[in-house]
This record gives sequence, C-alpha cells and structure tokens, in this order.
Amino acid sequence: MKKTKMKNLLPVYISLFVLMVIVLFPLIYTLLASLKSQMEFFNSADKLFPEKATLVNYKSVLTSDRIDLKTMLFNSTYYTICCVVINLIASAMNAYVFERGRFPGKKIIFTVFSSLMFINMGSITVYPLFDILNAIHLNRSLLGLIVIKLLGIPIVYIVLVRSYVATIPKELDEAAKIDGCSFFGIFWRIILPVLKPILATVGVLSFNASWNEYLMPSIFTLSNPKQQTLMVGIYALKSTGESAANWGLMLAAAVIALIPVLVAFIFGNRYFIDGITEGAVKG
Amino acid sequence: MKLLHNITAKKPVVREKYDKAEVVQCYLMIGLQIIGLLLVTLYPICWAIRLAWYYYDGVLSSTRFVGFENFITIFTKDTVYWRTWLTTIKFTLMKLPIELPFAMFIALLLNAKIKAKGFFRSVFFLPTLIGSAIIGVIFFSLFDYFGIMNAILKSLGIISSSIDWFADPSKAMLVLVLGSVWSTFGSNVLYFLAALKNIPSEVYESADLDGASKFVVFFKITLPMIAPILQMILLLSINGTLHVGDFVLVMTAGGPSGSTHTVMSYIINSFVPGFAVEQGVNIGYGCALSLVTSVFMTIIAIAYMKISTRLANMY
Repeated sequence: MKKTKMKNLLPVYISLFVLMVIVLFPLIYTLLASLKSQMEFFNSADKLFPEKATLVNYKSVLTSDRIDLKTMLFNSTYYTICCVVINLIASAMNAYVFERGRFPGKKIIFTVFSSLMFINMGSITVYPLFDILNAIHLNRSLLGLIVIKLLGIPIVYIVLVRSYVATIPKELDEAAKIDGCSFFGIFWRIILPVLKPILATVGVLSFNASWNEYLMPSIFTLSNPKQQTLMVGIYALKSTGESAANWGLMLAAAVIALIPVLVAFIFGNRYFIDGITEGAVKG
Repeated sequence: MKLLHNITAKKPVVREKYDKAEVVQCYLMIGLQIIGLLLVTLYPICWAIRLAWYYYDGVLSSTRFVGFENFITIFTKDTVYWRTWLTTIKFTLMKLPIELPFAMFIALLLNAKIKAKGFFRSVFFLPTLIGSAIIGVIFFSLFDYFGIMNAILKSLGIISSSIDWFADPSKAMLVLVLGSVWSTFGSNVLYFLAALKNIPSEVYESADLDGASKFVVFFKITLPMIAPILQMILLLSINGTLHVGDFVLVMTAGGPSGSTHTVMSYIINSFVPGFAVEQGVNIGYGCALSLVTSVFMTIIAIAYMKISTRLANMY
C-alpha cells in the first residue's frame, strides 16, 4: 500500500525538484559568478562554474574606492532598524486604539486611513515632501526620509495587527480596568505582551521591505552619496557605464546584500509566510 | 476584503458615552499618524492636484496659472504617455498568463501529500524576498550579451547566435516580464495554497469514487471552489502590475529608447529628481499626468470589482 503511494508521488517530487532548480538558478548563478576572477569573467562569462573559485571580489568590494560598501552597510542597517521600530510601534498602537478604543471620530479616521491605500498620486509627491522637510530644517537625507516614515500610516500592518487584537478576549481588558489600569496601561501590560507573534510578522515583513527599498532612498540620498543605502549603491555601480569591469564587484556586493535577508528568512520563515497569507486574506 | 467589510459594517447606533481620559489617550497614541495624515499624505495630494493647473519648473517666480492647458496637452498631444499605457497593458497581458498558471501548478504540487512541504514552499517563496535593485543587477548579468543565458539557449539549440537582449524592444520586454514573474510568483503560490487547503478532502474522495480524471477534477471542482480567492489574487496581481514602476527602472531603465516604460516608470523617469535627465521640467505637467493616471487606475480597479462581482452573482 505504502509503496504505491510513493510511486504515485514520484512525478510530483521530480517536478518540484526541477522547478526548484529553475527558480533558484538566478541565485545559484549569482553566487558562483561572484567567485570568478576578473579574468575569468571576461574569458568565460558563459560558464556557470568558476574554474578557480576565488574570494578576490569580496576582498576588493570591501576595500575598493569605487564602492564604499562599509558605509552603505551601515546606512542600510540604520535605515532598516529605524523603519522596523517605527512600524512596530505605529502598528501596535494604532491597531489597539482602533480595535479597543472608544473615542469620537474613530470610524471616520479609520476609513480615511484605509482609503488612502487606494488614492495614490505616485512619486510626484516627493516635491511637497521636500518642502516640508525644508520647513523643519531637514534636508534631503536618510534622516529626512525616516521622519517622513515616522509620520506615515502603515495601514497594511495596522490591519494585520488589528485583526489579531480582535481575537484577544475582552475580559482581560475589563479585569485590568477594574483593577484601575488606564487605557494605555492595558495596552502596555495586557495587550502588548500577547501581540508578540503578530509583531514578529510585522517585524520581518517591514525588515525585508525597508532593506530592499530602492526608489525613495535613492531620491533622498541623491545629493549625498555618503548616505546611499546598499540597494542604491549597488545599482549605481551598474549604471556607471563601466559595468563590465564591475561585474565581479557588483555580484559580490549583491551576495553580501542578500545575506541579511536570507538569515532573516531562515529564522523567521513562519512569520514571513503567515504574514503574506494573512495580509492577503485580510487586506 | 475584510477591510472594506469593516468600513461598511453597520453597527447598532447607540449614543456612546466616552471616557474622557480614554479619549485623550486614544488621540495621543495615534497622534503622530493623524499629524502625518495631514502633513505627508493629504497635503502632498492637494499640492499635486493644485499644481496640475499650473506651469511650474521649480522656480517660484516663473510659476503661472495655465488652466486646462496641461490636461489638453495630455489628451491631444502626448503620444508618449499613451504609448506607456499600451506598454503597461501589454506587460500585464504577458505577465499574468505566465505567472498565475505557474503559481497554481506549483501550489497543486505542494498540496499533494508530500514530505518536506515546508522546505519546498520556502524555496519557492525565496525570490519574493529579494529587492528589485538586486534583481535588476542579477538579470542584467544573466542576460548579458556574453552571459550565461545566451550560452544555455545556444547549447539547447533554441537560438543560433547570441542575442542582445536589452537592445530589442520585444526581447527587453521578455526579460522584464521574466524578472517580474520571478520576483512575485512566490506570494501567489502561498495564496493558492491557502485556497486549496480550504477545499474539504471529501469532495476529492467522492470525485475519485466516481472515477473522474485529474483534468475534470481540476476544472470542475478545484477551480470553481477557489474562485473567490482567485478573484482576489487577480485583483492584487492586476493592481500590482499596473503600478509597476521602479522595477522597470532597475531592470531595463525603460530602454531601448523608452519602449519598455510603463506609466509609472515613465512618470518617475520624467519628473522625479535623480531620474529626470533634463533640468527645469514642467512639474505642473507631471502633476497633471499623475492625476490623470491615478484616476484611470482607480477606474480600472473599481470596474474590475464591479465586473467580477457581477460574474460571481451569475454563477
């Protein structure tokens, strides 16, 4: 009985394996190509495996003056941490207030917040954002962009956390209220500790989104290359025109930029997958 | 769609008595977002809508009111803009028929009673996590003239000589579509899997007893049963593809000669500092373009929802 089952599933395993190789091919290629020396890149760019694997690209990407990788790594880390913290705090507090709070205007504010997902004037609105930053004496910089994010409304994360708050029994709040806990006290002592799993999801999703963000960081660090994040810097290498000479550097830098994402994925796998599935069902 | 449901859900009308301290704390906790709503969301939208009626090139003294001129130019003269709409639609029509069946097929395989399901699921989700700038670099290298894709295709006998992928409009488009499918199909696999899990196994068992073939089962049972989620997946995918912007910029930069620019990437490329090559572009015109674009996007989204609910009611 069991044997026939295995036999039936064999085509499934084979298809999955073939598809897996195809899907992973761009990544396998990137990793292997980053181990090729400059010479090999010119002579045999069409071979998958390097004849002599070398770490020379990694060494030079960390020391080269064409790309200031260490500063970029720092910028990306700093930007990502700020965005994640902002999203965690904003989504937890907004979710709690909109689910449990009782205050005039609640319905209308939430409606406005969520309808903003559909109204989108696109990237032309960076001009007024620059004006706002100027008015508060901040220039176009990574810090300026973080201030914009601080004032943003992470509606997808708010909705995600809100539906989780809704599953927490109300009796918990009421018991705490009778004990003299304030509205914020209930959030801090009762709700927040229970939110850990969903906040982990928000954390990994926003970590990945901010680490990978390209458009806004590149606009805001335009006049200030010292502030470029990894994504902006690596892509800038491609458009310098001498990209052929930079292939090894570019791919090695790409691999380095991928490492944090892969590590986060290995440890936070469940949260990523839950977040994507739930986000779609709820959004 | 629970969000919409939440907004429209009717609750019994009872005059609530508010607790003053609670109201104050509520507003304090969402205060930043309310300020942000006015400052970084509504103000920029109003700014752009107003400027759509102006000529504005960044210099305040040369700003002047031009009435409907920007809009008249869009609808009568700007063929480039309308061509980017065609490109966007072409991109959508090429991408979705590849991506959705591909994701569906993988989801069906993963839904079988196999071991290491979690491992495979993670592998197929992996590309979704990779930033667009990195994908741009990787695909640029893969499809380089002297690169590995040309070598593989030649050795398989699919092409006879190397192709300059980024120099030909239709081939550049193909690379763009492939890269885009690679970067988003993973989420769709998860959506399809979630949908398949909801189908009770009894349905399959009884179909099995009746001796239905796999194709019949798929088209008569699986597909109709996941129809509501399929509708949502379609809406998300269409919406995502229509809005694709910076992905185009990092993959092909709109090239060759602007032939792969989608609406969004065209607007970024023409009016956003750092991407716009010319100095002193008419930002007012960019605002008018953005306004027209966002109106069209909204109409398309609403039309899709209307049509698909009507279709759903018919069955």
